[in-house]
Amino acid sequence: MNEANPGALAPLVAGGAFLLAFIFGAVGNRTNFCTMGAVSDWVNMGSLDRMRMWLLAIAVAILGASGLHLAGVVDLSKSIYQTPNFTWLSYVVGGFLFGVGMTLGSGCGSKTLIRVGTGNLKSVVVYIFLGIAAYMTLRGLFGAFRVGVLEKATVTLPAGQDLPSLFATYLGLSRAVWMAILASVVAGALLGYVYASKSFRANFDHTLGGVVTGLVVVGGWYVSGHVGYVAEDPNTLQEAFVATNTGRMESFSFVAPLAFTLEYLMFWTDKSKIITYGIASALGVIAGSAAYALATRTFRWEGFRDAEDTAMHMLGGTLMGFGGITALGCTIGQGISGFSTLALGSILTFVFIVAGSAATMKWQYWRLGR
Amino acid sequence: MDFDKELDARGLNCPLPILRTKKALTDMQSGQVLKIVATDPGSLKDFQAFSRQTGNELLSHAEANREFVFFMKRK
Repeated sequence: MNEANPGALAPLVAGGAFLLAFIFGAVGNRTNFCTMGAVSDWVNMGSLDRMRMWLLAIAVAILGASGLHLAGVVDLSKSIYQTPNFTWLSYVVGGFLFGVGMTLGSGCGSKTLIRVGTGNLKSVVVYIFLGIAAYMTLRGLFGAFRVGVLEKATVTLPAGQDLPSLFATYLGLSRAVWMAILASVVAGALLGYVYASKSFRANFDHTLGGVVTGLVVVGGWYVSGHVGYVAEDPNTLQEAFVATNTGRMESFSFVAPLAFTLEYLMFWTDKSKIITYGIASALGVIAGSAAYALATRTFRWEGFRDAEDTAMHMLGGTLMGFGGITALGCTIGQGISGFSTLALGSILTFVFIVAGSAATMKWQYWRLGR
Repeated sequence: MDFDKELDARGLNCPLPILRTKKALTDMQSGQVLKIVATDPGSLKDFQAFSRQTGNELLSHAEANREFVFFMKRK
């Protein structure tokens, strides 16, 4: 807990986010960590190794996040994922459309950043369309539809929407006890499934990609929820999470931060704008991926193939921007950071992202046969 | 190397090179060879995994002038 000047903590928070994201970008590039690729390998060739990498990251993140919470280092209920408002239609529609978008756009938000770092100019276009669509969904035209239609379908739960809170409410025992039990059971089951595969165990990059990604998310919780936590901001006399765009405890997510990066560039002379946790994380992934690509001489410029390829990537970025904001996160934001809090909405979003991506790949294959 | 069919996957990123390869192989006879030209940096790992999983043998792969060339034998 900090009682220091929030302004002085901001560079620490942004710097910590950048460093962690840098590691994620470099390791993601090396290990080919890709959540869309995980779905593609499964749907198109029957390989679950990269899906296991994603599940390993989730398991590590669950154990780390729960451990930090139970040790009193962070309070996961201060994140955006554990609110009692269960906006189920937003998770379903947003998750599905994000899955469609990441398939059309050659990867999710994090993969887009990794590709930008390797010289893929298509991903630069995806980044811009994703960022603009995300901003329009936060505060613009798409936002009116999100709030006026999708978020109307809400169930207000008696407690937070995380499984430990729900189990404690309906079955007794404390939330902390249920968190310890459920984190152990869910993460244990995931780890058992992941390492039951001989082909997964045979390639060290699978373990490296999964463990590092999971640890980066845990580190993100620590940076935002502990280093950047101020019990009483002297300016507002309220608690604060320094240098966050949401005002809540954050870990890694790659939709809204892309919008805020564009906003920061467009409002450069506005001195109230600072490099936040999210902006630093987006820049960090690009830098880490670029550093790895340059060090291994794999950096190469890539462009669009034709008009259809361009249109699909523009549409993909737009759908990811809308879907990611609507569902409160992407394959990393909801798929790992949110999942690590055992929030029901994160699990639902994860399922519908995979479903949207798989359905799009089936459609793409069908189109080839016409 | 002799081949029976060529697939141009240049400028395409995952999952399209794999999807187009899968479709091309379904239209070929067992033992025929498909030549694939791709530019996606991730294509080498993708085609190695595709070969391992589907049993279509990856006869060779090479990189030149920022392009990857694969020869895959239909199982």
